[in-house]
Amino acid sequence: TAGIKKDIEKLYEAVPQLVNVFKIKEKIGEGTFSSVYLATAQLQTGYEEKMALKHLIPTSHPLRIAAELQCLTVAGGQDNVMGVKYCFRKNDHVVIVMPYLEHESFLDILNSLSFEEVREYMFNLFKALRRIHHFGIVHRDVKPSNFLYNRQLKEYALVDFGLAQGTPDTKIELLKTTHSEDQQGSCSQNNPTIALGNGVSVSVTASKQIAQQSASKAADKRSSSLSKMQIKQGRGGKEDSAHHSVQRSVFGERNFNVYSSPYQENSGTKLIKQSKMIDVSSRKLVTKKKITSTKTVSNGAARKAASGCPSNLTCDCYATDRVCSVCLSRCQQVAPRAGTPGFRAPEVLTKCPTQTTAIDMWSAGIIFLSLLSGRYPFYKASDDLTALAQIMTVRGSRETIQAAKTFGKSVLCTQVVPAQNLRTLCEKLRGTNSSCKRSHGEAPSKSVNDSALPVAVDKLCAPETLGKQIQRLASFQEGDGSLEMKATDMKGWDQVPDEAYDLLDKLLDLNPATRITAKEALLHPFFKDMRL
Amino acid sequence: LIKRAGSSFKDVVTGRLKNPFVKVEDRSRHYRPFYLQLPSFPVLNYCVPKPYSPFEVDKKHPSGQKQTQSKQRNKINSDKDCGTPVQLPQKDKKKRGYCECCGKKYEDLQTHLESEQHRNFARSTEYQVVDDIISKFVYEFVEYKDDAKKLKRTKCST
Repeated sequence: TAGIKKDIEKLYEAVPQLVNVFKIKEKIGEGTFSSVYLATAQLQTGYEEKMALKHLIPTSHPLRIAAELQCLTVAGGQDNVMGVKYCFRKNDHVVIVMPYLEHESFLDILNSLSFEEVREYMFNLFKALRRIHHFGIVHRDVKPSNFLYNRQLKEYALVDFGLAQGTPDTKIELLKTTHSEDQQGSCSQNNPTIALGNGVSVSVTASKQIAQQSASKAADKRSSSLSKMQIKQGRGGKEDSAHHSVQRSVFGERNFNVYSSPYQENSGTKLIKQSKMIDVSSRKLVTKKKITSTKTVSNGAARKAASGCPSNLTCDCYATDRVCSVCLSRCQQVAPRAGTPGFRAPEVLTKCPTQTTAIDMWSAGIIFLSLLSGRYPFYKASDDLTALAQIMTVRGSRETIQAAKTFGKSVLCTQVVPAQNLRTLCEKLRGTNSSCKRSHGEAPSKSVNDSALPVAVDKLCAPETLGKQIQRLASFQEGDGSLEMKATDMKGWDQVPDEAYDLLDKLLDLNPATRITAKEALLHPFFKDMRL
Repeated sequence: LIKRAGSSFKDVVTGRLKNPFVKVEDRSRHYRPFYLQLPSFPVLNYCVPKPYSPFEVDKKHPSGQKQTQSKQRNKINSDKDCGTPVQLPQKDKKKRGYCECCGKKYEDLQTHLESEQHRNFARSTEYQVVDDIISKFVYEFVEYKDDAKKLKRTKCST
């Protein structure tokens, strides 16, 4: 389109070094923080090769850019991790050149993949994750659009380290952070708001409110998340995160009550109309140099008091259905959130400040869930807590609450929903559950619906809504070689082994401490006979 | 639904969350709880056709019956994030965001990039850390001959 032509023109203008080197053909992706183009280049080897040019948004901090490059150079280039060929810069415009891998659209092929292809796909994803986790990289945005897959060539590439973070012992120098057990809070300068179900918000000021946040705006950095236009596929691009570190800290805060002035001198209560919540998130990077006296960045074992937050005020709302001006006047806990909503692990959704490489394994589990169920995106939530509620409907509310305790979160949920049997769930969603009974030694499905619950009961749909495979099964009566035919038609989906669901269960472990690692996953019986 | 609780603080306002809800709070009790009040709790819907999410509320059942899911805006006090990307024509897309270089948010990307502050940063030595990495790369490209290139560029914006 004309718009894309113009973008290409502008890119040549911004980075003139590209002009006689690349023939930029088209834009192949656009996220919040970058645009990716397909180009060809003449190499000294004499061959003309396809390249992917990633143009980073010029507002990216040089340290972030350098960190992304370092991930690509150190960890990339093998084990299905994307490498880097070159990088061009002119002022704030940086273009990373990578080999181009032609790849499928996940959505397009999802329901045509054979079971064996799914096994290979997951195996190769774990290879990539094992590699980056070995270097202490938490990718944070593992999802199909960041794991390129060429079905014909059986090639795979994990891409996009734009949101990556380091583990405490990361081998990527530029991802090093002064890691600490501290937790960082951010106090909104606005008054706490109690938004109640009746469409009324109550803006209150706690009488004991301690020293308000210093007027330094650093505490309150916000920006609207951009609307994402994903060209290839996938919804929802990246988001911002907050990181309790000195090196980089990226905030996704919510702007409460946007019209209320921070200087509002209100005592007591005020009734205000429920405001339309504005989507805010921002990417903020705090470097060592930039640390000023602002209290948002706490390093070391910072006391919450440092952030001017009345944290030690207790109230009786804890683990109840109540909130009050006391608990709502406390700082919001800030924890990394970067990533894509439907792929965020429960510890991310509940703002757990210490997040590990296990969050990537959860995301891999969500991909696996899509592959086994034929649904993508599997979860569809516009906010973190809706995403958490959706996870509960699959993994169980009690189980989710129990696991959250282990990482320091109290989760209260009015709905008691049972954990689903993963095989039953996936087969029902895929429409392959009417196949004849297998004898697999599995516990019976736990998905007994408590009739006392005011929730719609899962219902199976009329046969005509099931997958085509089922109808085809009916036509196998006649003709010879019907067994062979069935096998090819079902592509292995009529005999998914228990190991698949056992692995899925271990990936979607609600407790990050016990969740399977990439290294362990590669050794899981599901992959027996696959060469490492 | 507001009551004044007779606690040790005066003017403590308490609100009761409406069912169904999810509430999350750090066990340290040092942070603000966050919660979500939904019109209805999510339900696994097996009738949504493949490949759509079983939590999809917009897709009609294959049988044609309408979803009765309330489309009411959820009342939430946690961060909202991108649901469906808003498809706006390229030209009137105001790109708002946050500049990590300048440490400030902007209403319009292009305008910000042209600002004095950002341009100064763009030309600063802050990018040395990037250049150091670039200097280790091997340049293996051959320039195309300027044959029939439509891209005659003399002007270079900075």
